[in-house]
Amino acid sequence: MKFSSAILPLLLAPFAAGEHTSNWAVLVSTSRFWFNYRHLANVLSLYRTVKRLGIPDSQIILMLPDDMACNPRNAFPGTVYNNADRALDLYGDNIEVDYRGYEVTVENFIRLMTDRVAEDMPRSKRLMTDERSNILVYMTGHGGNEFLKFQDAEEISAYDLADAFSQMWEKKRYHEILFMIDTCQANTMYSKFYSPNILATGSSEIDQSSYSHHADNDVGVAVIDRYTYYNLEFLETQVRDPTSKLTMGDLFDSYDEEKIHSHPGIRYDLFEGGEAVARSRLVMDFFGNVQNVEVDKGGVGNEAQWREELEAIERMIVEAKRRHNVTLNVQPQTQHVVEEGKPAQARQSLKKEGAMRVDEESGWSKQIVGAATLLGCAGLWFAGSWFESH
Amino acid sequence: MPPSEGADASSAPKEDAKPSPSSPPSLDAVRLRKQPPPEGRESLWRRRSAIFSFWAVVLCLGLPVWWKTTAIYRADLPLQDMTDWAEGKICKPVFPLRIAVEAPLPPQDAHHLLRTTQHALDDLNEFSAHHLRLMLADPPAPANASQQVVVDGTRNTSDDEDIALSIRLIPVETGATPRSHLQPYSPTLDVYYTPNQIPPPSSTGSPLATFIAHELHKIFAEEQAQLAYLLSTASGGHSSKMKSLSPETSAELQRQSTRALKYAPTYHLTFSLFTPTSTPSAWDIESALRQYVAPLLDSFSAISNFTVDTQVQLYATFSPSIRQPEYDEALKAWTLRKEDLSGFINAAEWPLSPSIGKGPTVNFVLYVPDKTQSPLLVKESGANSWLIPQWGGVAILNPTAPGKDAIVSASLTKEALGPAMHTFSNQLISLLGLPQMPSSLPLRISTLARVRAASLIFSASSTLGALAQVYQKLPSIPVPDSVAKSVDLALAHLQLACDRLREGRFQGALELARIAEGEAEKAFFERSMVGQVYFPDEHKVAVYLPLLGPVAVPLVMAALKELKSGLSALRGR
Repeated sequence: MKFSSAILPLLLAPFAAGEHTSNWAVLVSTSRFWFNYRHLANVLSLYRTVKRLGIPDSQIILMLPDDMACNPRNAFPGTVYNNADRALDLYGDNIEVDYRGYEVTVENFIRLMTDRVAEDMPRSKRLMTDERSNILVYMTGHGGNEFLKFQDAEEISAYDLADAFSQMWEKKRYHEILFMIDTCQANTMYSKFYSPNILATGSSEIDQSSYSHHADNDVGVAVIDRYTYYNLEFLETQVRDPTSKLTMGDLFDSYDEEKIHSHPGIRYDLFEGGEAVARSRLVMDFFGNVQNVEVDKGGVGNEAQWREELEAIERMIVEAKRRHNVTLNVQPQTQHVVEEGKPAQARQSLKKEGAMRVDEESGWSKQIVGAATLLGCAGLWFAGSWFESH
Repeated sequence: MPPSEGADASSAPKEDAKPSPSSPPSLDAVRLRKQPPPEGRESLWRRRSAIFSFWAVVLCLGLPVWWKTTAIYRADLPLQDMTDWAEGKICKPVFPLRIAVEAPLPPQDAHHLLRTTQHALDDLNEFSAHHLRLMLADPPAPANASQQVVVDGTRNTSDDEDIALSIRLIPVETGATPRSHLQPYSPTLDVYYTPNQIPPPSSTGSPLATFIAHELHKIFAEEQAQLAYLLSTASGGHSSKMKSLSPETSAELQRQSTRALKYAPTYHLTFSLFTPTSTPSAWDIESALRQYVAPLLDSFSAISNFTVDTQVQLYATFSPSIRQPEYDEALKAWTLRKEDLSGFINAAEWPLSPSIGKGPTVNFVLYVPDKTQSPLLVKESGANSWLIPQWGGVAILNPTAPGKDAIVSASLTKEALGPAMHTFSNQLISLLGLPQMPSSLPLRISTLARVRAASLIFSASSTLGALAQVYQKLPSIPVPDSVAKSVDLALAHLQLACDRLREGRFQGALELARIAEGEAEKAFFERSMVGQVYFPDEHKVAVYLPLLGPVAVPLVMAALKELKSGLSALRGR
């Protein structure tokens, strides 16, 4: 045992150094309607930035609940701007929206994170991450204490989000997550997280609003939120190309409460190694797609030999096939095993999916509070009607 | 209460009011007059039974229905088994490799040689989970093939699929002996010896036996290291059996595992030709693939399947965020810096990852630079190709290679594609995680099959463990029966796969482990296991109170009233 505990750190050391092989981004705007133009602009700005820093569209999940570019109230049809100078059209001609309109729901978001999707879901709409993927999760919209509203119709709670992340961790679906949220009382949204290796940051504390930066008088509404604006300012002016060596610490230090008008929060405690390690992560570890490429050594010398090899392999395969055809005694067995698996599959597909259920909270204190409230209300009612009858 | 009674009650005071002016009523009389007429016994019981029946409906029907419809169905899962698998308590993978020895010797001598070699081999082996078992091959005469030679009671040697390596002992007169030669295209090790090196029956060791043992140890060293690494990373339960790996080896293995794609039953290969100009606009990719890549893919067919597509993209420009190539006077070439290589692929604009099929996509990009920017090389090493871990490979085909004529015209011939295809196939080999050693390809592929089987068993077990964790941690998630079925199937197949490993039938183990992995994934990613699980108590009150309040108040009030009157009646008696 001693031996193994001595060697384990050696083996784990490279893991701690943290190598990821792919970067994913989940960018979610959750609000509809024209006056929420800025939320869409927030998300599109982030989308543009991560794309510029090298994350391919196939690894970006973009959720847009409304189409501001084609809104009849848009004075500049087909465009979305995040600045009153209108220098940069965020909509451009090359954006790939994965979930749009009424597809942006709490359920779809949780399904995306936990990958519990239908079999016919295209790969581009799935988060196909593994234990070597870093994920950037950016959310913006209208929120409150421990919830974030989706589409003015439903809300996701901090508990649901925390549970989704914990399922991802159990299934080894991420290496590290950077969770960023720009909404009112944003910091409450990450307060319930409990899975390791999540670095979380939000725009405002509990009971604080998150403000918009400025409005464009011609567009007629606010075009970007302050927190996002200053994040973008850092990313656009400091992180100029994928070779940037700036760290998350640099990004967090750039937050200026005077400018943001709220208190941005950062949560380090879930991160393995705590604050120091989390701060030393490169910005490019989450916003870019930098991999350790391996340059092949030297030229391609012995081509003739390779050709010979290929021919030999071909001969070998022909020979193997011939032998395989002669002796087919291994095959039936394996086929049998496959068949064993099938009936269950068929039955499963027959079974219909039930409706989702809401559950009881397990904490007793909450139960009691709830029951007491109910009883109190009932008591009031009872007392009222008692007085009335006398 | 029937309304007629009520009418009677209201009319009663009027009748009584008539005599009132003649005789002033006493206080008692007023009180008496306000009393409703006494209720008949029958109507009293009718009212009580009505209240009782309402309560009976609520308690016997309403409550169970509410309970039933709001309860979350959770199928029973064998949580303990799942956790045990994940912790590696049930299956300790072992890799008994069978090695057949063909010796042109009398049986007695051959057995003795075998014994001494086995001894030497066991002494060399530090990794108990992976051991080589020597045995005598079948006599070459095909007539005897039906008579199976039974070695230690349980296995037969007839199915040659399960023999990892055969050693042929060949007596020679000349040259340095003993010497060995590993056949590159069949799992056969030829060992040349002179007859006097056969150990006499009395001796306990011999140079020939030691030589064979060392050769075998060398051949399987990398496999042992890979498996040891896998066991050590998979779970803590195996670490006691672990072979000590040097830090360099473990770093190298770590690098390899970072580079290699995760196992999938099907991979999709995309070969893309990108050029910043309009030429070349065609390539003879079909025949190039048939000649250069197909044999390799076929040889992997026992482990994974492949689908292939190709594309040509003209006028493909670099991403604006990377530094443009610079001209290097010394090399007489345009150069790319190594840091920029990971940004070489213009992910925003180049249409890669076509999202076709089920399996992961492996990309191979052939870039033909503009003639004005050619030759294009990597600055530090002068190489023209690189590998991107778990993604694919890139090769640059320079139209004007130094010392060659321009090979690029409007279309690329099969011959021109040769070097690039060679690069791609090397990259594919390392992306699939094929070990570099030993030199015999079939041996390497069978090594890969073993490694993959073990890693699939581990990943399936860890998925089951994750499912058990989720089941326990989130009591509000519904778990349908299909999940329980998949879990049972996965567990059964895992057990079978583990048994196959122990028997040394690795191909079977791989297939079973693949099914187990599939079932485990299906169980974990069951579509209906998503709930918006958290509902604050305020919401519950808000939902139930308006619904139940108006119903509950009359019910409760009536029950209380009746209880009170019942009690007072009892007391009065």
